[in-house]
Amino acid sequence: MSHGTPVFIICSPRPRVGKTLLARVLAEFLRTEERGLAAFDANPDEHPLLGCLPAYTAAASLSDIRGEMALFDELIIPDGVPKLVDLGDAAFDRFFSVMQEIGFMREAQRRSIMPVALFLADPENRTRRGYAMLLDRLPELALVPVFNEMISTYVPFRHHFPRTRKGGSPMAMPMISPVVREVMERPGYCFAAFSESPGAMSTELYRWTRRMFLQFRELELHLLLEQLKPSLQAAR
Amino acid sequence: MAKPAVILVGADKGGVGKTTVSRTLLDYFIAHNLPVRAFDTESPRGTLKRFHPDVADIVDITSTSDQMKIFDTLSNADSQITVIDVRAGLLSTTLRALRDIGFLDAAKKNQLTFAVFHILGPSVASLDEIAETSGYVGDASYFLVKNFINNTTFFEWDPATYNTYFKRLKGAHEITIPKLNEMACEQVELAGVPFVSFVANKGATGETAAYSFVLRGYVRHWLGNVWAEYDRLRLLELVAPEALRKDFARQA
Repeated sequence: MSHGTPVFIICSPRPRVGKTLLARVLAEFLRTEERGLAAFDANPDEHPLLGCLPAYTAAASLSDIRGEMALFDELIIPDGVPKLVDLGDAAFDRFFSVMQEIGFMREAQRRSIMPVALFLADPENRTRRGYAMLLDRLPELALVPVFNEMISTYVPFRHHFPRTRKGGSPMAMPMISPVVREVMERPGYCFAAFSESPGAMSTELYRWTRRMFLQFRELELHLLLEQLKPSLQAAR
Repeated sequence: MAKPAVILVGADKGGVGKTTVSRTLLDYFIAHNLPVRAFDTESPRGTLKRFHPDVADIVDITSTSDQMKIFDTLSNADSQITVIDVRAGLLSTTLRALRDIGFLDAAKKNQLTFAVFHILGPSVASLDEIAETSGYVGDASYFLVKNFINNTTFFEWDPATYNTYFKRLKGAHEITIPKLNEMACEQVELAGVPFVSFVANKGATGETAAYSFVLRGYVRHWLGNVWAEYDRLRLLELVAPEALRKDFARQA
């Protein structure tokens, strides 16, 4: 995507719903596009993303103003390099409160920065409230519900996470067998490298990775169209 | 020419945020295109002048010549509004002087608009200040300002006691200045620019600065809340009628 600077925020108000896994796959997708990447691991106590992708991930903290400055002052740089935040559940409320208070969305729009929240949805009430809060307080945010089928395949709860105009269609993290999941959760495992290895195409892991990459590409196209919409309408 | 407006910002105690409140007022009026001038009575070194050198002058409010400089020029000054940041300990003295020169009478006769922003300190002594100051204020608009900018648990006195003082005052209004993040506050001080310039990432001479976006965001949010208090009290209507404000807006 050549327009603007995307900022992907992988989030949920609940732990262990697949945030870091999603962040890792997205990070590798962005890296394969050769546009560079700056990732931030905002998990307060441990830094799982930093452990997996140390070369281009920095630890981030929202426990004080210095940490907030270190993170948000980077996220607002319009340098065309995609940013990715793996936001721990404990930092969920604080992150979006700061975002709202400092007027991040307005400034982002001015600088052609596109914040996108990939929200890991699940049937819990707390998660539902978190999503509703984002819809209400940050209506300009491109909010994308992500249904992790490894957490729940229960479908009826999904209507609590409606699609948004800016974010587009919900995403899904497909179910994968426990053995394969164990492989991809190993530190140092590289989705992109595996996809290019001989014989990979017939494997479950290849299909899973490919489906994720395809959804990321669709998301990027949607964001691009949303960004171009005003000029396309003006040209009519 | 509409009648001039004079706003006195003071307290008998030091360190309660008089200059901070004066700065927010200057920013507020300038942002609304109202011509404003300010007098900083921290003579010989003024803090307000450091932040607003274009509109602020340093004066010694106790000297007759400087009193003339302020009050004899109200009607023919280019500025509609005069903000006076009264140095610590001189609020009562200044009000007494204003009474003696007939200024308070002129305000009573509606020849000018007069407002007092009394910044309350944390000690019980502040409540006694209210009683003393209110004796001079008369028909002026009297604003009691609780300034929380640097502190969250600020006031030592019992709210019930405060209310008994407050209720005795006819037509007094209360303003709350919310807390501003310490580092944001410190960085604006270091920058030495108006709050609006800091928010706009501008240096003292209008050059683009490199202030933190996060700190600018916090200042913008805080200043918005302070101005919302001024809006609530219809401060613009008090100092300039709508027709005049439209004139100034057109000129701007």
